[in-house]
Amino acid sequence: MKAGQLRSGGLRWMLLGPALVVILATVVSPLVSSFITSFRDWRLIYSPTPGAFVGMDNYTRALSDAGFLNSLRVSGLYMLMSVTMTLLIGLGIALLLAKPTRLNVFARTLLIFPFAVAPVLKGYSWRFMLNPDYGVYAKMLGAVIPPLKGYLWLGHEFSALLSIVMSEVWGWAPLFALMFIGALGSIPGETTEAAKVDGATSVQIFFRITLPLLAPVIYIVALLKIISAFKMFDQVAIMTGGGPGNSTQTLYYYVYQVAFRNLDMGYASAVSYILVAIMALLAFLYVRVLLREH
Amino acid sequence: MLFPLAWMVLAAFKTEVDVFSTRLLFKPTLDNFRAIFSDPILLGSHIWVSALVSFLTVAITVPLGAAAAYVLSRHRFRGRESLSLIILITQFIPAVVVAIPFFTLFRSAGLIDTPIALVIIYLSFTLPYAIWMLRGFFDALPVEVEEASFIDGCNEFQTLRHVTVPLVMPGILVSAVFAFISAWNEFFFALILTRQNSLTLPIAIQSISGPRGPEWQQLAAAGLLVMVPIMVMSLFIRKYFVEGITVGAIK
Repeated sequence: MKAGQLRSGGLRWMLLGPALVVILATVVSPLVSSFITSFRDWRLIYSPTPGAFVGMDNYTRALSDAGFLNSLRVSGLYMLMSVTMTLLIGLGIALLLAKPTRLNVFARTLLIFPFAVAPVLKGYSWRFMLNPDYGVYAKMLGAVIPPLKGYLWLGHEFSALLSIVMSEVWGWAPLFALMFIGALGSIPGETTEAAKVDGATSVQIFFRITLPLLAPVIYIVALLKIISAFKMFDQVAIMTGGGPGNSTQTLYYYVYQVAFRNLDMGYASAVSYILVAIMALLAFLYVRVLLREH
Repeated sequence: MLFPLAWMVLAAFKTEVDVFSTRLLFKPTLDNFRAIFSDPILLGSHIWVSALVSFLTVAITVPLGAAAAYVLSRHRFRGRESLSLIILITQFIPAVVVAIPFFTLFRSAGLIDTPIALVIIYLSFTLPYAIWMLRGFFDALPVEVEEASFIDGCNEFQTLRHVTVPLVMPGILVSAVFAFISAWNEFFFALILTRQNSLTLPIAIQSISGPRGPEWQQLAAAGLLVMVPIMVMSLFIRKYFVEGITVGAIK
């Protein structure tokens, strides 16, 4: 007898129904609604109800909007910096803690903490520590590299973006390390032992054995980080508010400003759909990788 | 790596003078906690708003998510895989897209600045996520256990109640913790949907600023209150933490 025969269709819809209704109401319908809005002219300051259809105007407006193009550039740059740094630091931590000694196992437990910290708190603690007058990091960096003494980390274009990257790398690199440690654990010890016997240096072992075996995990986590990078908002809001100038105005933050500061709902919807298009491409890649894994 | 955390923990017990000095030794004080609790506009009521919103989110997410995940894992029907995939893909939708129509809707419905608005919008990401994670837990459970129960004469509902749900309980707890964490730490929606009455902690701590910028020692004390429950919960689900994130905790 197969279990499937005893599973009833009636119970199926009773159990699945409520969740589907909620998803339809909270995800699908707002998505459709903002898609329609993206073809309308709707400034909430002037009218509480949606305005006229304007075709592709909102989308073509984005192409010549310096603010939007800048946010695209900032998000791209932010993504490149945060992905590279998270991967490198995460890999470093993983190799450091790879041996399952008692101390290392304890240290691994601590690795989940930074990720669990609310992004708002990440933002505040980094803002404090980078303060040139009393921030510990700012002082330490100033002591090591004298020209950086009293440097306003959040007051210059590149270093402000770098600071936001650091706050995020701090949360994600330990998490990456945990994933890498898991993958490293599945590499059979004999392989590396045999290579050592054959006279391979540890650099060779790393590049020829460890790295290729880690490649699938690296691929997944890198995609995960790329996706999260395009959603960067919280620390920007807390640490820089998009400044100085508009140097830390990520795409996400830009949509937020257009929608909830300028209340330009039609245009904001269009820009957010450009973000959706980027996400869709990344989601497609991610799902393909994920499904191949399982 | 733990330095920023350690700094925050220490600062929470420091006086204003000590916060700005880099000396290691200081005399701990509980004044900061007293200050943020005694001043009603600081934290007093917000901690309850946060707790209420997070609790309601979990209370709706977990049963609905578990029921749906069970069906997607155990029932064979047309469209099952596409449905699961659609649910996974919702995890990639940037919150801001959903926020725009909800903002205008809540505005005209008078729901801005209410806990209800937050709970509704939090479900948009906690529920799909819980379904995906719980489906993994149901899939990992051997179907033979349930078949034995069917042979013993139990119907599907009885089997679900007495066999399946108890066995998948760890998964249910993990999904509850994840839903709680995401609601408790959430910042973006709370920023746009609250004004003063239903501020959650991540928003409320912004108000801790004196004339010369944030009162860092009080901010640290408040941060500790936000952080500690989540840290403790994360430790409980340590085993599933990383896996849970790869499944789709992209937020």
